[in-house]
Amino acid sequence: MPRKSQAKARAPLLPLPLVERLLSAAMSRGAEFAEVYVERNTSTAAMLDEGSIKSAQSGSVTGVGVRAIRGAQVGYAYSDDLDEPALLRTAQTAALIADGNRQPGPVNMSRTPLPTHYQVRTPLASVDVSRKIELLQQADAAARAYDRRVKQVTGGYADQTREILVANTLGHLAEDRQDLCRLSVQCVAFGKKNERRTGFYGGGGRVDFRFFEDFSPAQIGKEAARQAVATLGAVPAPAGPQTVVLAPGWSGILLHEAVGHGLEADFIRKGTSLFAGKLGEKVASELVTVIDDGTVAGGRGSINVDDEGNPGERKVLIENGVLRGYLYDHLNARLTGQRSTGSGRRQSFRYAPLPRMTNTYLAPGDQTPDEIISGVGKGLYCRQFGGGQVDISNGNFVFEISEAYLIEKGEIGRPVKGAMLIGVGPEALKNVSAVGSDASHDPGLGTCGKDGQSVPVGVGLPTVRIEGVTVGGTGA
Amino acid sequence: MSLLDTCEQLVSLARKAGAAEAEAYAERTRDASVRVRDGEVEELQQASSKGIGLRVISGQRLGFSYGTDLSKEGLKKLAEGAVALAKGAARDPANGLPRGAELGAAAEGEYDAAIEEISPEWKLRAAREAEKAARGADPRVRKFDSTGAGDFLSQAAIFSSRGARGESRASYAYVYCSPVAEADGQLQTASWSDTRRKLDELQPAEEVGRIAARRAARMLGARKPKTQRVPVVFDPQMAASFIAGLSPAVNGLLVHKKSSFLGGFLGKRVASPGVTLVDDATLPQGIATRPFDGEGVISRRTAVIEDGILRGFLYDATTARKAEAESTSSASRAWASLPAIGTSNFYLEPGTMKPEEIVKGVKSGLYVTAMLGRGADAVTGDYSRGANGIWIENGELAYPVQEVTVSGNLLEMLRGIDAVGDDLDFRASTVAPTLRFSELVVSGA
Repeated sequence: MPRKSQAKARAPLLPLPLVERLLSAAMSRGAEFAEVYVERNTSTAAMLDEGSIKSAQSGSVTGVGVRAIRGAQVGYAYSDDLDEPALLRTAQTAALIADGNRQPGPVNMSRTPLPTHYQVRTPLASVDVSRKIELLQQADAAARAYDRRVKQVTGGYADQTREILVANTLGHLAEDRQDLCRLSVQCVAFGKKNERRTGFYGGGGRVDFRFFEDFSPAQIGKEAARQAVATLGAVPAPAGPQTVVLAPGWSGILLHEAVGHGLEADFIRKGTSLFAGKLGEKVASELVTVIDDGTVAGGRGSINVDDEGNPGERKVLIENGVLRGYLYDHLNARLTGQRSTGSGRRQSFRYAPLPRMTNTYLAPGDQTPDEIISGVGKGLYCRQFGGGQVDISNGNFVFEISEAYLIEKGEIGRPVKGAMLIGVGPEALKNVSAVGSDASHDPGLGTCGKDGQSVPVGVGLPTVRIEGVTVGGTGA
Repeated sequence: MSLLDTCEQLVSLARKAGAAEAEAYAERTRDASVRVRDGEVEELQQASSKGIGLRVISGQRLGFSYGTDLSKEGLKKLAEGAVALAKGAARDPANGLPRGAELGAAAEGEYDAAIEEISPEWKLRAAREAEKAARGADPRVRKFDSTGAGDFLSQAAIFSSRGARGESRASYAYVYCSPVAEADGQLQTASWSDTRRKLDELQPAEEVGRIAARRAARMLGARKPKTQRVPVVFDPQMAASFIAGLSPAVNGLLVHKKSSFLGGFLGKRVASPGVTLVDDATLPQGIATRPFDGEGVISRRTAVIEDGILRGFLYDATTARKAEAESTSSASRAWASLPAIGTSNFYLEPGTMKPEEIVKGVKSGLYVTAMLGRGADAVTGDYSRGANGIWIENGELAYPVQEVTVSGNLLEMLRGIDAVGDDLDFRASTVAPTLRFSELVVSGA
């Protein structure tokens, strides 16, 4: 359950009178809206390779982005120089999008009260780096102990504390501290005749160190090792259309690629997404209900507030197969007469915000995973997944399958290698023939790229069966 | 204070804080762009930024810190931070900074002062021309994902306690266009862009728009072909993405860790005769041309594959020490990260065949013009990517196809290259000419 955050005792990232002066400067040539975004991002990372800690690093980046909007036109400028003259120049550069002259009135800012969806009691920045290094060492030991054929183990730990302040000429002022961490392990197992297979696993989110008590580094190392060893001796994946069963969790990348991006309001406004103009239409099997939820407790994609000062929300995008809504940022909402869904996100102060996903998942159905698998005569069981990509306009999407098995007569059989799934978003979703009761989120690993900007996201899927998906492989 | 002076100051602070060796790398950039929609400005962006990274080695342990605060106080914090972090890392005799004869500077990176002077109006005009030309090229192009133009200037400096000392500058300008063509309820997008170190070599904006529009429009009506094994032709953009997929396989660190499918093949045939793969940071006017790499090692050219024979891998100083090889000046660097092995101007040398002849030689096969997914696994050699393109029938580009995957094995693919085009154009840092693979699995209906 969301808790009300405690009153902020700390000084704001930038003095509020200066923020107001910057907003005025950004409005000085007749813009209709201006926004100041201040960010301080402090990070720590460590890397383990060949059994030892190769490096430990830390950094801190602070900057301010100023945006001015007139109609559909945006001026954007940023600065990592924080002295007042440099910041005023930045605001004046953004103001150039308008070409008039105007003496803007004063802005009365009031703080937006925010709930907290993060599970961070002890900030990650206050934890000594030696404890972060221990996590890597535990994961490494567990991966190596799993099987003698595991010969290469690489581990990475990274955390960041991102403090933001967003203020705009609508009078909104929001401040948030977004902690994020991630521990991951990659293994290579060596089989006969120089065969190599890899495994990858990890987890994290907007959580603190207690997370690794339940989701232990040893468990992460062991799972990465298990994947690498399990796929030794795999046969080539069969090429062509098949029935596929997706294991729960990270498979939610299916939704992220097949529908999520296509529902982002910039593509909808420009009419470049194949989901534009389809609100209220059936775009998926009635077993499919897709939700984007920025309020998942501790979720990697969760946000108390988006990067435009609007609170994170839970949005039903597709309900029982019917398209119900899109993901709006401030600009695209305003231009199309909608309201922001708290989906305006940016990689850092160097970028203007875009409509983005947070945590995207499929609501559970009522079948058990066993029922779903046993109903398949011949098909593919996909257990672990890599990355994916989508072409918004024609809806073609792919995602990589890193661990998969043949299904024969309802039984999971031999492992296959080098598989890739390809489909067209709405068609794939119409072919969903079973949805499991085993709702599951990914362990907290995902990063989504769009227009050169990366943001952390979460995905989730119960066990799902889809008919007639094209599998890319080299086998018969 | 110049960037180089700041680097020198940081190194001296790090030495005072207890670092045995220290190296600072700083960058300052200016980035300005215009995006248009329907002939109007959609977004105008302009900004400058800077940052510095510090690598320290103490007792063979490595620490790294970075930041944007270049004040004396900010630098002091970085120095102390990096030295403290090194204490947590493991001893590794391979840790060390390059020194002596390795250091220096080859040809200055290509810098064009004309790019400093590009006005917002120039960019606006270029973007408008590209958008207008795209509309004019095909009536079915009415929407755009985005169209724009921009310029980028950067300055970098490096200073180390082992004698690295250098400054470099780079500039580039670009125009891009991503139109969406529409017919019978189908949307198809494509994009085309041009990036050059010198302003007067930039492709005319109208041409960028026209090419992009034709690429989008020719995909309309795309269907899904049957699953089959056929010859596959990659256009130059897709051929470039294929060789980009090979870059981890020639990364000396992954090779040293036995995590590259090319590992055991040094001196052996790994590709068809005529296949020559080069990494060259000294290439005149190359997008990635630089006087020295991310740790100050003088730039050079490395033939990775020469006429089909694997000749070498790419190394930075640390990995070279570990693998008893020589640095190939392949340390890629940004101020906020440690140097790591990467490619510079990475390209496949052109052959003699015209692209049309390459297509003409195919009775039935696929001409690939766009791909989805990463697809290439340099550890195992598995290759599988989503693809769009044009089906080839009797040597002619016949009809558009989509929703297929192209799969193979990287080593077999390299050995199966049976035609290399003459159409190499250094429009990006990783480039290749048209390539034909004798047979791949195309998975569709």
